[in-house]
Amino acid sequence: MNYKTLALGAATAAVLAGLGTPAALAQTLTIAVPGNDMATLDPHRASATLDKNVINWMFNGLVRTAPGQFSLETIEPDIAESWTTSADGLTWTFNLRQDVTCQRDYGPLTASDVVYSLKRAASPETSSYAGDYAAFERIEAIDDHTVEIGLAHPVPSMLGLLVPFNGGSIVCEAAGTELGEDFGRNPVGTGPFAFAEYQSQQFVRLVANDGYFRGTPEIKEILFRYLGSDSSRDLAFQSGEVDLVNGRFEQSWLDRTAQLPDTTVSVLGPYELHQLHLNMNQPPLDDIRVRQAIAHAVDRAGLVAFRGEMLTREATSVIPSGYLGYEAQDLPEYDPEKARALLAEAGYPDGIDLKTVQTTLPAMLTTMEVVQAQLAEVGIRLNFELVDHPTFHEQIRQDLSQVVYYGAARLPVADIFLTQFFDSNSIVQTPGAVTNFSHCDVADAEIEAARTEIDPERQKELWAEAQRKIVEALCAVPLYEMGQPYAWNNKVQFAYPLAGSLNLSPMIDETTRLVD
Amino acid sequence: MLGFVLRRLGFAVVTLLAVLTLVFFVIRILPGDPTVVILGDQASAQSIALLRERMGLDQPIALQYLQFLGGALRGDWGTSLVSGRPVIQEVLNVLPHTLELTAVALVLGVVLGLPAGVWAAVNRNRIPDYVTRVVSLLGLSAPAFVSGIVLLLVFAIVLRWFPVISGGQGTTPLERLRDLALPALNLALIMAAYVTRVTRSSMLEVLSQDYVRTAMAKGASGFAIVWRHALRNCLIPVVTVVGLYLGILIGNSVLTEIVFNRPGLGKLIVGALNQRDYTMLQGMMVIYTLIVVLVNLATDLVYGLIDPRVQYK
Repeated sequence: MNYKTLALGAATAAVLAGLGTPAALAQTLTIAVPGNDMATLDPHRASATLDKNVINWMFNGLVRTAPGQFSLETIEPDIAESWTTSADGLTWTFNLRQDVTCQRDYGPLTASDVVYSLKRAASPETSSYAGDYAAFERIEAIDDHTVEIGLAHPVPSMLGLLVPFNGGSIVCEAAGTELGEDFGRNPVGTGPFAFAEYQSQQFVRLVANDGYFRGTPEIKEILFRYLGSDSSRDLAFQSGEVDLVNGRFEQSWLDRTAQLPDTTVSVLGPYELHQLHLNMNQPPLDDIRVRQAIAHAVDRAGLVAFRGEMLTREATSVIPSGYLGYEAQDLPEYDPEKARALLAEAGYPDGIDLKTVQTTLPAMLTTMEVVQAQLAEVGIRLNFELVDHPTFHEQIRQDLSQVVYYGAARLPVADIFLTQFFDSNSIVQTPGAVTNFSHCDVADAEIEAARTEIDPERQKELWAEAQRKIVEALCAVPLYEMGQPYAWNNKVQFAYPLAGSLNLSPMIDETTRLVD
Repeated sequence: MLGFVLRRLGFAVVTLLAVLTLVFFVIRILPGDPTVVILGDQASAQSIALLRERMGLDQPIALQYLQFLGGALRGDWGTSLVSGRPVIQEVLNVLPHTLELTAVALVLGVVLGLPAGVWAAVNRNRIPDYVTRVVSLLGLSAPAFVSGIVLLLVFAIVLRWFPVISGGQGTTPLERLRDLALPALNLALIMAAYVTRVTRSSMLEVLSQDYVRTAMAKGASGFAIVWRHALRNCLIPVVTVVGLYLGILIGNSVLTEIVFNRPGLGKLIVGALNQRDYTMLQGMMVIYTLIVVLVNLATDLVYGLIDPRVQYK
């Protein structure tokens, strides 16, 4: 045997030994996302956006935001058909629908499943979101279709914790206990689509849940594909191999994709708020005049023009617009002259040098290069320390960056955003550290008081006051808000207007259709 | 020969151990933390500390190293820090895809490159020679992700002969070959460029030997001289390059797999690096080292098949 036959033999064997996958059905919706692989599809565990994207179509909550919407103002019944609240806001009683069944023959869903699921979401052993449910003192099944929740203290937007997002997704007890640790690779919900198959680095396949309580889905199968390369993902959409694609955060992508025939391009919410967090603990940023100078040197309109008018809009507060409790603020206007004067007044006529740890992720880096150029105009020299993304996340949490550029979206309630970014309990390098990079502590009292305020009007006032104080102290300089770019071919038809979804993927439910 | 193979395998174990140790410490020197990846950016310092403890990342690094080494010797490569699945299972899931791609690209590269090199050598300093040299230079210079996109544009978008997603959807061997065609061609083009250039120069040297002149003098045909007498004698450097290049080929398969949306080791290692998945990276480094060591051994053994004068001591 010579070397050629050896190599040929090996090649043939390799070809024949490969794994086969079933061919796509006619009613298959193929979706492509930027990324390499799935981590877990356990809704109480998943933290990656791509995982939440899939979870979106498999689970229900006690309540939900209206299909296609993400605002908590649109909350409507889901598994619970009605609910009541005690006068003190501490006891919540939910009446469940009687026709809800668990996927894959795990039987009808009853109150005990809901109790199991909420306890699972509240336990740090099984949930990444346990902290959100810390106030859930008592979760009980009153009868087969009634659940009562007792709170230790009122929580802001109780119903927001019960939508199918993170801990709010309802997991069936029999499936959860039987599958245990395997649940993340073998999820069972009650939603319109059920998990069918996972091929590592390739796709997750969902099939229609024929027993879905709102009716049998029109689409028979969803193929959720991981296509990491931007260029080839676009080509796959162009060639028709993909029906719906999660796009690039670039205006040019939107423009180019919109020119393809029979294609809808859309920017979905919730919008991420991007801002500069200024470390108030360190000179020269401990001087309010220096922070004001930075705020006046930033040209938000210029940044929006750079990132694209369709994809981004100017920030208007230190929390994203549209969140429960959001109030538009008077942000410092773009005024380089004033910025220079403020710097001189603070004792820095020759300008200042600031250190910033900066990720090399292209979308974030290019934005910061524009900010850097804008600040340089007034003599603020922003010196980058370029690191890869995981290093960036570690170092900004070690207080190593004077200026932290960060983009984020959260459950759309003011409390969560304010708590994580501006409450002094969340300051980095402290025991309760989350993402308070600025060492901001000016609105602690308002954030704290709003958390347990029962009167919704008074609560909103407190949140508005907190935003005013944070803007005044300039813990952070808001830049812009950015949405999620998506495109789909017009075979995909949604029965509802699409504004976005908390899980950052367009809602696909029993009414969504694929037409030829 | 058996003794030779055993001795070489012994060296391989030492190499593996050295690589394991190096990898273990180097990836821990890198900043970045897998717990932040797992818990997401909303996680509090307490829950991060809790997870670090559960994953054993809070223990002294020397202790972690001993535990890791002990596990590795028992064949336990640990579980991926991010997905929680056994490393060995994750690797074995995708290894066939990478081997398939690399093997086909290797064969294709040799099949394209060898005749081209011979052709160029026989036509030295004439037009076929110049054309081959320029084309192979192009093949060497174009990065795999550029040539990959060009191939996709031409064959998947304009001509529509092949799919953009070569994700192994096919069930029949024919469908699988269709999936494989473009990525394998992409890798093979680079391979072919190397093989062409080495074959050409090696062939030129052989053609200037006395026995070739003798063969010409006795009236042997040009075809017989080149393909029967000269080719086998010019193969040793070619085999060396193929063996060396196989390692680079597996490296290039990282980019090819990503561009063509194929599963494989490449996507796995990029993901593991971005997520600081220590255990996964360790496992993959061992696999890569093992492949390179085995390929080197195989290359040495092939010498003997080509040239009976080569002896293994």
